[in-house]
Amino acid sequence: MINLKAIKGKNGWIFACLIIVTLVSIVISMTVGPAKISYGDIFQCVVNTCNSPMQDMVIWQIRIPRVLVGLVAGMGLACAGAILQNVTRNPLADPYLFGIISGAGLGATIAILILPNQQTLALPLAAFLGALFSVVIVFGIATLLRNMNHLLLTGVAVSFMLGSISHFILYLGDPFATNRVIFWLMGSLTRVEMFHFYLIAAMVVITLLTIFALHRQIDALLLGDESAESLGVNVNKLRLILLALCAAVTATIVAYCGGIGFVGLMIPHIVRQLVGVTTMPLIIGSALVGGCFLVWVDVLARSALDNVEIPIGIITSAIGSIFFLAIMYRTRKTG
Amino acid sequence: MASGNYMKVLSYLAVILVSFTATKALATNIKHNLQESTPLPRIIALSPHIVEMLFTIGAGQQIIATTDHTDYPAAATKIPKIGTSSRIQLERVIELQPDLIIAWESGNPSDELARIKQLGFKVIYSQPDTFEDVAKELRLFGQLTGHSEKAEEIADKFLVDLSNIKQQFANKSAIIGFYEVWSRPLTTIAEGSWPQQFLDICGINNPFAQARVGYPQINIEQVLQANVGVIIQPLAKKQTDENSYNWQKWPVVPAVKHQQMITIDADVIHRMTTRSLSALLDLCQQAEKSRQYYQQADS
Repeated sequence: MINLKAIKGKNGWIFACLIIVTLVSIVISMTVGPAKISYGDIFQCVVNTCNSPMQDMVIWQIRIPRVLVGLVAGMGLACAGAILQNVTRNPLADPYLFGIISGAGLGATIAILILPNQQTLALPLAAFLGALFSVVIVFGIATLLRNMNHLLLTGVAVSFMLGSISHFILYLGDPFATNRVIFWLMGSLTRVEMFHFYLIAAMVVITLLTIFALHRQIDALLLGDESAESLGVNVNKLRLILLALCAAVTATIVAYCGGIGFVGLMIPHIVRQLVGVTTMPLIIGSALVGGCFLVWVDVLARSALDNVEIPIGIITSAIGSIFFLAIMYRTRKTG
Repeated sequence: MASGNYMKVLSYLAVILVSFTATKALATNIKHNLQESTPLPRIIALSPHIVEMLFTIGAGQQIIATTDHTDYPAAATKIPKIGTSSRIQLERVIELQPDLIIAWESGNPSDELARIKQLGFKVIYSQPDTFEDVAKELRLFGQLTGHSEKAEEIADKFLVDLSNIKQQFANKSAIIGFYEVWSRPLTTIAEGSWPQQFLDICGINNPFAQARVGYPQINIEQVLQANVGVIIQPLAKKQTDENSYNWQKWPVVPAVKHQQMITIDADVIHRMTTRSLSALLDLCQQAEKSRQYYQQADS
């Protein structure tokens, strides 16, 4: 069923390298963190039993969930970005441009103000609902406008609208809640646990399986709506399914990790330079590079500064923007 | 015979004295051993005001980690830091294995604290919104850290000092004051904020006390209309005058016209600890000077 030929051929060695780099990244990143645990102890902990309950807690309840959630969140965001860019044929498409982060922010704001003592459940749930709410509004308005090309513009407008509602609620509410919402929006993997990994991983697997099933139709879409329709593709239905899928995976990631910008926009552009625009290699490459990228960004977040954790969204945006500009510059010169 | 009886009585007395001393020594020893066998809790304090309160009640040595900006007393600067008020390094918390974590309810990240609790650590919240809360929390921290006696003593003294200041400035004529929290945008205070109680005690009328939010942003037009007699500018040590609002542009405001500007130490007035009373007294005394200035000007 899965067309492996699509990712074989000249790209084969690239994928082999990416898989090896990803696996090595997972292993190395587990050894980095503010708690001082030797490599030997970590190895002992993973393959056998830990030397102390403290090490057991740090490795199994904090570090491994963080690395794994970082991996699948990076995969999910990069895939969602790649799908959106191919489906809308817009290089600027990014899951966050649909107002997902503003919607999640509004949900988080309401949860933090109304249920300050129920953060474990209420915060991710409200953020998830807020993110879905924004996507539904964006789709609704774009459908009313009868122009799916206006999807991104609608997303930008809805993003500003939901953002202003959040700011107004925060201004009228507890002054300290503002801090919490702002820091929450900067993104972090500090609070994640294994359950979140299973949930996000399930969403990413569903996304990948859907892409494997529909990759030919998506490739047809790259030729233009009319060409795709002449090839027998139901363009509107396909676009709606894929947009809903991207929204669901991004909303789940945002709910547990907060705002992690630029991954969805940047990674597919990098991967396109490596493996081209065809959907299958692009999605698989984006998943591997995105996962690897976020694992390393989280390593930086927890170890770059002494005694202080850096919000992950700051690093993704900082590295992402510079890298992105560099790639554009390089493409301009060669292309 | 008689001397024999005396000797007997004396020897009984000696035995009683020795056994009494021995019993007392034993009791002291047992008490001492008991204290040694139940060591005082090791604490992570996640805010500068909590650290300061713990030092005040004599529990400073039990703090094993804290967050950034913990700068008082001087000994507190040497405590290892495990994050900021808004981000905590969970791995370090687990590594340090504290007996107790005291967190700032509104300032620390609630989701990370929920995770810390989930991992099995004991978390106690601090949220002093009024002077009375400071006394209450001093007592609570005393019970939790094994310094009840000293904490009770300090809390009692704090409340007595507070009551004395309240009495001293109770029946003063009201003076209208503007409290400048921040200059860009111009932000003040209202009911429900920590500094409002300072104005209430010092007899300073806040024209914006009834605003809907604790820290409202204000249009300068509203200040011009309010007939403000004193302007209060809390200034942190690291902050320069340039950060304050340029009031000299508005001589129409009585406080500017008569140069009734009050500067107070922001680090002291905005930290919910026993030191806040020195800021309270300072503010009340400066407001009293302004009051006398206007009374003399009127007469």
